[in-house]
Amino acid sequence: MLRRAFLVGFVMMVSLAACSREHGPPRDRGTPHLDKVPALRGGGAARSPRIANYKLDAKLDTQAHSITATETLTWTNTGQSQVDKLPFHLYMNAFKNDQSLFMRTTRGEMRGAHAADNAWGWIQIDSLQIGGVEMANQLTYPGAPNAPTDQTVAELPLQQPVQPGQTIEINFKFTEQLPEVFARSGYKGEFNMVGQWFPKIGVRVGAPGAERWECQPHSAFTEFFADFGVYDVSLTVPNTYVVAATGVLVAATESPGGTRTLTYHAEDVHDFAWMADPYMITKSGKATLEDGSTVIVRVVYRPEQESFASRHLQAAIGAIEKFSADYVPYPWSIMTVVDPPVDAASGAGGMEYPTLVTTEGDTVFARPGVRFPEFVTVHEVGHNWFQGMLASNEPVEAWMDEGVNEWADSHVMADLYGARTSVIDAFGFTAEYQALSGAVTEDPANIPVPIATAAYAFPDSASYGAATYSGTDRALTTLEHLVGTAKFMAAMKTYAKQWAFKHPTGRDLFAVLEKELGQNLDWFFGPVFEQVGGMRLAVRSAHCRPMHGARGWKGDGTQKKLVTEADAPDTGAWQCDVLVDNTGVIHIPIDVELQFADGSTQRVPWDDRGQLAWQMISVEHSSPLVAVKIDPDNKLALDVPVQHQYRLDGDGAASLRAGARIASWAQVLMQMVGP
Amino acid sequence: MRITLGDLVGSGSRAIKRYTGTLLAVFVVQTLVMLGTMLAMAMVLASVFSHLPIWDDAVDGDLVSLVICIKWAYTNLLACVGIGFGAVLLWSLASWFLAGGIYGVLAQRPEGRGETARTFGASGAATYLTYARLALCGLPGWLVVLFVFALCAGSAMPKVNYALTVFDLVGPLALTIVPAALVAHFFSTVIDYARVELTLRHDSHEPGVIATYLRTVVFVVKHPLSLVHNGLGWLAFAVITLGYGYLAQNRPMYGATGAITLFVIREGVALARWALRFGVLAGQVDLGGSRALPPRRVDVKAPAKSAS
Repeated sequence: MLRRAFLVGFVMMVSLAACSREHGPPRDRGTPHLDKVPALRGGGAARSPRIANYKLDAKLDTQAHSITATETLTWTNTGQSQVDKLPFHLYMNAFKNDQSLFMRTTRGEMRGAHAADNAWGWIQIDSLQIGGVEMANQLTYPGAPNAPTDQTVAELPLQQPVQPGQTIEINFKFTEQLPEVFARSGYKGEFNMVGQWFPKIGVRVGAPGAERWECQPHSAFTEFFADFGVYDVSLTVPNTYVVAATGVLVAATESPGGTRTLTYHAEDVHDFAWMADPYMITKSGKATLEDGSTVIVRVVYRPEQESFASRHLQAAIGAIEKFSADYVPYPWSIMTVVDPPVDAASGAGGMEYPTLVTTEGDTVFARPGVRFPEFVTVHEVGHNWFQGMLASNEPVEAWMDEGVNEWADSHVMADLYGARTSVIDAFGFTAEYQALSGAVTEDPANIPVPIATAAYAFPDSASYGAATYSGTDRALTTLEHLVGTAKFMAAMKTYAKQWAFKHPTGRDLFAVLEKELGQNLDWFFGPVFEQVGGMRLAVRSAHCRPMHGARGWKGDGTQKKLVTEADAPDTGAWQCDVLVDNTGVIHIPIDVELQFADGSTQRVPWDDRGQLAWQMISVEHSSPLVAVKIDPDNKLALDVPVQHQYRLDGDGAASLRAGARIASWAQVLMQMVGP
Repeated sequence: MRITLGDLVGSGSRAIKRYTGTLLAVFVVQTLVMLGTMLAMAMVLASVFSHLPIWDDAVDGDLVSLVICIKWAYTNLLACVGIGFGAVLLWSLASWFLAGGIYGVLAQRPEGRGETARTFGASGAATYLTYARLALCGLPGWLVVLFVFALCAGSAMPKVNYALTVFDLVGPLALTIVPAALVAHFFSTVIDYARVELTLRHDSHEPGVIATYLRTVVFVVKHPLSLVHNGLGWLAFAVITLGYGYLAQNRPMYGATGAITLFVIREGVALARWALRFGVLAGQVDLGGSRALPPRRVDVKAPAKSAS
C-alpha cells in the first residue's frame, strides 16, 4: 500500500514537472487587417529633416532564421561640408564571432542572457550599387582598436563626394543570419526578433562646415544613433506567422508557397524593427491624449502570458498618456509592445525601437503588486520620447536617453501606481521605484567614471548601469527637489518641445535647464555629471553638555580662587556640537535639522561649496539635543542617506529585534539538526 | 505483536507526559543557546546601527531602508549569519550528547528526577563518541542527498525560471525538492534508528557503528512504518513552522514590548516543535526496541602459550 502510494506520488510529481506549454501546430489566421491610420497621428507635415530614408524588402526563412533582403537608402547631405566616404552600421556582425568588439566587451553575456555556442549571427553585403555601379568590393572594415577584425562598421570611399544639399541613393542586397537571441536581436525557437538588421548609415555631427561621421563600432554598452527618415518595409514570412513592426501596416498580400508579404510604412523614425512568431496573439487598447486624440496601443504576446499582457497594456497606455502630457504628445498612430516568450525575454526583452518596444518581467514571482513588468513597459515606451524623438547620441551620451528616461519613468510609475507603491505593493512591502532603484544600485560615490562618460568607455556593466541609469536619475531628482517639482517639470517640457526630432547633447539639456530655472547651475552639473566622487554627507559626531559659568581656578596669586560646581551651577541650558562632513566632490546647500528633547527643532543651513569639507555646528538650547537630520526634506537623491540621521543616545532595540528574528530561524535549524 | 503508527504516536504522547521535565530541560538549554546567539547578533548590529535611525525603519519593514542598511553594513550582517550558523554547528555537536541522553531516558524509563538526570547524563556521555562516529558514517548518505538535489535542480531550474503561474512553479519545485527530501528523510531516519540501536544495545552488545548503520538501513527498508512515523513528525514540524510564518505575516510588533511578545510567541512555537520531536524520538525507541538483537559480543581469551 505504502509502496503504491509512493509510486503514485512520484508519477504525479514527474507529470507536473513535465507539463509544458504546447501551442499546437502553427495555423494561418488569415490576412491581417490593415491599420488604416496614417503613420503620423493625424497626418500632417514632416516632424524631422528626414535625412536617411529606407526602402527594404526582406524575406525571412523561419527554418534557418535567415533573411535575404534588398535595401534602397536615400541619404541627403544636410551639412555644409562635402562627404567623401559613407560609413554603414552592420550591427548583426556583432554576433559573427568571438573577435567582434561586442563579443569581446560583453564576453558573450548581456543582462543575464548568454550567447549560444553555435548560433552566431552575421550580415553579408552581397551587392552595393550607386548609380548602377557595383561597389561592394570597395567596402572596408576599419575595426576597432581592441578588436581589429570587427565588422560592425563598413566604410565605402566615394570617388565623387556628396556635396552639401545633394542626395544620394544606395542600393544594397544583403543576406543575414540571426543569432540565437541574447542581446536584443535574434531567434529563440520559433520566435524571431529582428532589430538592427539592415545596413544603416551613420550620422553627420559637428559644427556646420566641420561635420564628421558618427558611426561607432558596436560594443557592449553602446546602443544606437541614427538620422530620422521614412521607412517603407516589405516583409515576407510564412502565412502562419504573426508579425509586429515599426510603423503602420499598409499592405498585406498572399504569396505563393504559403507565404505572405506585409508592408509597413513609418515616418520620422530613426530605426525599424520587427517580430515574427507563429503563436503570438494581440491585445489592444487606446491611449487618449490631452487633445482628445487617440493612439492605438497593442501588446503582442503568447497565450500563456495573457495575465501579464493586460498589465503591460495598461502600463503602456498610462505611459503614453503621461509622457504625452509631461513632454510632447506621442506623434505616431500606433505603439506596439512585444512581450517575448519567457525563454527569450532576457535576450530580446526590454528594448526600444520607434513605435515598437519589447518588454519583459513575466514570471510567477512578479505577482500583481510587484510591478517590475509594468516598469519595463513604461521604461521602453518612455524611450519613444527620450530616444525616439529626443534622439541623442547614445554611444557617446547614453545618460541622455537611459538616465533621463529613468528619471521620467519614476514620475510616470508614481502617477500610475501611487507615489509610495510605484514598484512594490505586495507581501507587506511597499517601495517607490526611484528609492528602490537608488538603494540597490552602487553608491554613486564609488563609481570610477562620471555620469557623462561615453558608453564605450565604461569599465564594466555595473558602472555603466549605476552611472547612466541610476546616477542620472538621482542627479535629476536631486535638482528637481532643489528647485521644486513644478518648475523642473516645466523646464523639462520646454527641453522636449525644443529638441524633439533633433539630436540634443548634454550641453543642450543643461542650457535649457539653466535658462528655464533662471540660474547658473555649473556648480551642480560639473561635479555631478563630469566628476568622480559623488556625495558623502554624514553626521560624524554629536555631543551635548549642560552650560554653566567657568569652573576651575580663577585669577592669580592671592586672588586665585577655585570656582566649583556650587559656585557656577548649571544654567539649565545646553551647549551642543554637531560635526557634519562631506567626503564627496558634490557640494549642495542643504538644511541640517536639530531635534531637541523638548520636541522643538532648529534648522541650520549647510553649504560646503568652496568651503571646508566639514563644519562644526554649535548651538545653545534650553533642552539637550537628541537627534540630527541632514536633509530633513529628503532632497538629496544623490547621496546614500544611511548617515543622514543620527541620534545621540544609542538605541539597540532594533538590533535586538533583528537579532531575535535571525536567531529564531537559527533555532529552527537547530531543531532540525538535533533534538 | 505488530506495532502500529497509533502505538508510536501513543508512546510519544506518554513520553511527553512522563518526562516533561526532561523535555523542558533540553528546551531551556536550546533557548539559552538561542538567546546567546541573539545577543551576540544584537551586539554586532548595535555596534554599527545604534545611532542610525534608518536601521529602525529597516527592521520595521521598510524595504528601501533595509536594502541600504544591508549594503552599508554587509560584513556585519554576514557576521550575524555566521554567528547563526556557528550556533547551529555548536548545537549539532551538543545534540550527540543530548540525543544520547534522551534515548537513554526513553529506553531505560527511570523513575524520579534524580534518577532521570543520572540516566540522561550517563547515556549521553556513554554514546557521545559513538554518535560522532555514526555522524561520520552517515556522511555518504548526505552526499547522496546533495547529489540528488543538484541533479533534480539542474533539470528543473529552467522550468522554475520560466514559470508564469503558481501551477507552473509547483511541478518543477516538487521535482527539485521532493526527491532530495525523500532521500534525506530516509537517511535521517536511518541515523535516528541507528542511534536507538546503539543506545539500547550499548551495555550488552557494543555493536560496531558501521555494522549498526548498515543493519539499520536494512531495518528501515523492511519497516516503512519507521519512515512514515518520522515523516509525519517532520510534516507536523513544517506545518507548525510555516503556519506560524503565515499567521505572523503583516503583524509586526514594534517597540520593546513587541520584541518581548514576539520572543515569547516564537519560543512557544519552538517548544511545540520540540515536543513533537520528543514524541517522535519516544516512538522510535519503541519501534527500535522491537528489532532483532545484534550478535552478542563474545570475548575470547587466547590460551596462554606453553613453553616448549
